[in-house]
Amino acid sequence: MTEYSNVVAAKHKFATDEERQLLLAVKNGNRQAYHQLYHQYIGQVYALCYRLTADRSLAEDAAQEVFIQLWRKIGDYSEQSKFSTWLHTVTSNITISYIRKQRGWVQRMFNIEDSSAANHIAEPSAGEVDIEKYVTRLPERARIVFVLHAIEGYRHEDIAQMTNMAVGSSKAQFHRAKKLLEEWMGYA
Amino acid sequence: MHKQDFEQLLQEQLATLDEHKQPERDLWPGIELALVKQHDEARNVHYLNGTAQPSKNNHTREVSKLVILAAAIAVIALVSWKSLVPSEQMITGDELVAALSAQHEEQKSALLVQYQGQTALTQNWQQQLAELDSAAVAIKKALENEPNNMALLKMLQSVHQQQINLIERVHSPKWSQA
Repeated sequence: MTEYSNVVAAKHKFATDEERQLLLAVKNGNRQAYHQLYHQYIGQVYALCYRLTADRSLAEDAAQEVFIQLWRKIGDYSEQSKFSTWLHTVTSNITISYIRKQRGWVQRMFNIEDSSAANHIAEPSAGEVDIEKYVTRLPERARIVFVLHAIEGYRHEDIAQMTNMAVGSSKAQFHRAKKLLEEWMGYA
Repeated sequence: MHKQDFEQLLQEQLATLDEHKQPERDLWPGIELALVKQHDEARNVHYLNGTAQPSKNNHTREVSKLVILAAAIAVIALVSWKSLVPSEQMITGDELVAALSAQHEEQKSALLVQYQGQTALTQNWQQQLAELDSAAVAIKKALENEPNNMALLKMLQSVHQQQINLIERVHSPKWSQA
């Protein structure tokens, strides 16, 4: 090992140890430690909630719900994976369930998707591409699958389980999302 | 333009996405309040599942109920009266918060004086009371920005009520009431 890689490894170990201490305190019911954990991770949690919901207000409510439920669920974290990885899974599951609860009864009864965004053809941009904006314009199911697969790195099998859809549907929604992005980015 | 170019551009764009994004409002006060509520509910379940026997003397509890009822009537009367006066004199959110807080402080002090010298059932009730105080402070801070937010006003009332319940419960638990 070089001196540089030793320093990197030491820094990593320190950060891990520090996080472990913090998580232990939270598991023991320390509210101040939980506040610290919130500050550390709210950015990541909110970013994922925002991409999944495509709505600031819903994302804020979902992020709040994540941290309320996390307080009870944190005992389930077994340190077999990185805490941030585990937190992303918890956040995805809670946000998807939150989106389901928030859907209007008309949408549930008739299985109507928020297709206004899909019908709206964004102007193809010659220069800069704001991918974040395009992702939030995707129809709900296509957006959720795209965020989970392309950004979060989940397999279609995992997404199918998380969203209660068939693996084939997950793949089809991903394809649909890419087609729309291709069109909006001026490649179709 | 080619499909390959699109795939490459898409990958490049996805790689530039920020992993962090901050919400526009502070979400912590709401989270803290929900945690306090959860804690309180869990404690209620614990008491309800207790095996202790009920006691005959519920006089203290009745007095407390009357104090709470009087306080509630006073706040409702204040709000109603304010709603009847001309619009330029209408009660503002700030005034309502101040009225609720003053009323609550009075009610809380009356209960604390009433139970002074009595042994509390739990050791850390004052700490719990302080935690609820911090929650109330956080809500009042949020109310400074949104003085007419009914959800926040209800939260504040709920925290106040939890403090009253806590003081009563540790000094005169449910199982000691007739």
